[in-house]
Amino acid sequence: MGTATNPNLTNLQPLGKPKRIRISHNALWGYIFIAPVALYLLVFSIGPILFSFWVSLHNWNMITPVADMESVGLKNFQYILGDDDVFRKALLNTFRFTILGVGTNTVLGLCGALLLNANIRFRTFWRTIFFLPIVTAPLALGMMWGTLLNKNFGLVNRILNAIGLPSQPFLSSPDQALYCIILIAVYQYVGYYIIVMTAGLQGIPEEYYDAAAVDGANWWQSFRHITLPLLRPVVLFLVVTNTIGALQVFDIVFATTTGGAETSGGGPAGATMVLVLHMYNNAFKFFKMGRASAMAMVLFAIIFIVTLVQMRLMRERA
Amino acid sequence: METKRLSFFTILWTVVKYLLLIVLGAWMLLPFYWMISASLMTSKEIIQMPPPLLPAVPQWSNYVEVTQVLDLAKAYLNSLIVTGLTVLGILFTSSLAGFAFAKYKFRGRDTLFAMILSTMMIPFFVILIPVFYVVKQFGWINNYAGLIMPGLVSAYGIFMMRQFIMTLPDEYLDAARMDGASEFRIYWQVILPLTGPALVTLGVFNMVGVWNSFLWPLLVVQSPDMYTVPLALNSLRTYGMEARVLNLQMAGTVASVIPTLIAFVWLQRYFTRGIALTGLKG
Repeated sequence: MGTATNPNLTNLQPLGKPKRIRISHNALWGYIFIAPVALYLLVFSIGPILFSFWVSLHNWNMITPVADMESVGLKNFQYILGDDDVFRKALLNTFRFTILGVGTNTVLGLCGALLLNANIRFRTFWRTIFFLPIVTAPLALGMMWGTLLNKNFGLVNRILNAIGLPSQPFLSSPDQALYCIILIAVYQYVGYYIIVMTAGLQGIPEEYYDAAAVDGANWWQSFRHITLPLLRPVVLFLVVTNTIGALQVFDIVFATTTGGAETSGGGPAGATMVLVLHMYNNAFKFFKMGRASAMAMVLFAIIFIVTLVQMRLMRERA
Repeated sequence: METKRLSFFTILWTVVKYLLLIVLGAWMLLPFYWMISASLMTSKEIIQMPPPLLPAVPQWSNYVEVTQVLDLAKAYLNSLIVTGLTVLGILFTSSLAGFAFAKYKFRGRDTLFAMILSTMMIPFFVILIPVFYVVKQFGWINNYAGLIMPGLVSAYGIFMMRQFIMTLPDEYLDAARMDGASEFRIYWQVILPLTGPALVTLGVFNMVGVWNSFLWPLLVVQSPDMYTVPLALNSLRTYGMEARVLNLQMAGTVASVIPTLIAFVWLQRYFTRGIALTGLKG
């Protein structure tokens, strides 16, 4: 053991005490308190990510013993990146969903936050309303919007008809389905953006605006040179966490475009097939754990890159 | 000092401001309004043209009918047990580990802390298959343990509790040690009571997420008697999107979202505090 030969540590031992007690009482309890959590994360987090990588290099159906897994090298990655058209479609849909959804929400959220931060009465009331969709289960929201957007008797189509516009197929159209999903996601999370950005706006000292006003800055100039730069960390946080969340979209898609017996889903012509749904199907419908794990690794790599970019951007500012 | 012209624009801005807020608010509320209204309609009214804004006679029987198709009471109970135990688990592990990282000195502490934080970067979907396999090996498929165990530790919770406990003065600990309190007793009787507000925020924040979670229960639960509320709702969905069951589906949806809405209105300040915390600490 390194500690036994370390003179600094042995010198710390009070004279007369037996030398084998090298861990102080304080450190011992530190370890005891950490142990359950460390063990837990080993089993439910760190172990699984390593295991996931291992499985991605094998053929496995989860029934054959782990020891008998057939090693296939990088074949799973070759397959999903080269031959799996559905995967490519899912990846593309996921990116479109993420970029359009997070982009729309960032802009709408900023507008909403500026509104809410202005001199407004009943601020708590408005905040409560914006918050309602956030605490509602995505599955329930998907069902609500699925009913509203139903092509035959949905409320939205009947409103369109009432003002003389033709009915739209919405979720049953290959062209419109993904945009409907984005609409639902924007609806669900815009309140979260508004609340967080309002908190960010309230953290900007009033004196900055006063000083700018003294210098004759107009609204746009103080927005451009005070609000935006000081809000940047908050916006960055929102964009990154929500990008990571959006890349894993599942519940809304499942609730709106999978149904009845046809559970593989993915909507009309695979218009709403997303990464996690494809992964879920491969793993738990077709029992192709190797392929599904390879997809998980691709997802992990994408999220890892997003996180690295965030760290870089954060450091740039500091 | 204010000129007439300026106050005109002030009034205009005020009008525009509230108009925009009302549009945004109406957009947020419309689906909820329609869900509740449709849940009380007859299946004829729900497809009537032009759409009625409210049912002529509220069909409360829709709700009765839903409970005949679904064991909603059992689903509530399951969700309550799963959510309650998961949140308690998160509070316990977060505060205990947070306490250790904040107030104890031991070799490798900072490395361990960094490792725990880095697990935040592992999305649950990426480890779905291995975690399912682990749960299966433990024999936890289709029982409470399977629903609860994978969610008991929150790396973010540990981080948050550590930051909070670090602000507590060491004198409390020293005084308790003088009195001969054991280390666990210091945690339980000195630290835990002091972390109350942080614990409530953390708990409320996790509560909704656990209650609403869908994919994991979908994988682990295999029989209707273990359905959580979102799973019960999902089983209603698979009856098909036909007009004749739409009102029942909406009744089920209302019944499923009511607990979170009540919890939210009741605990609102903790939600907004939690949101502000995550938003600004990030």
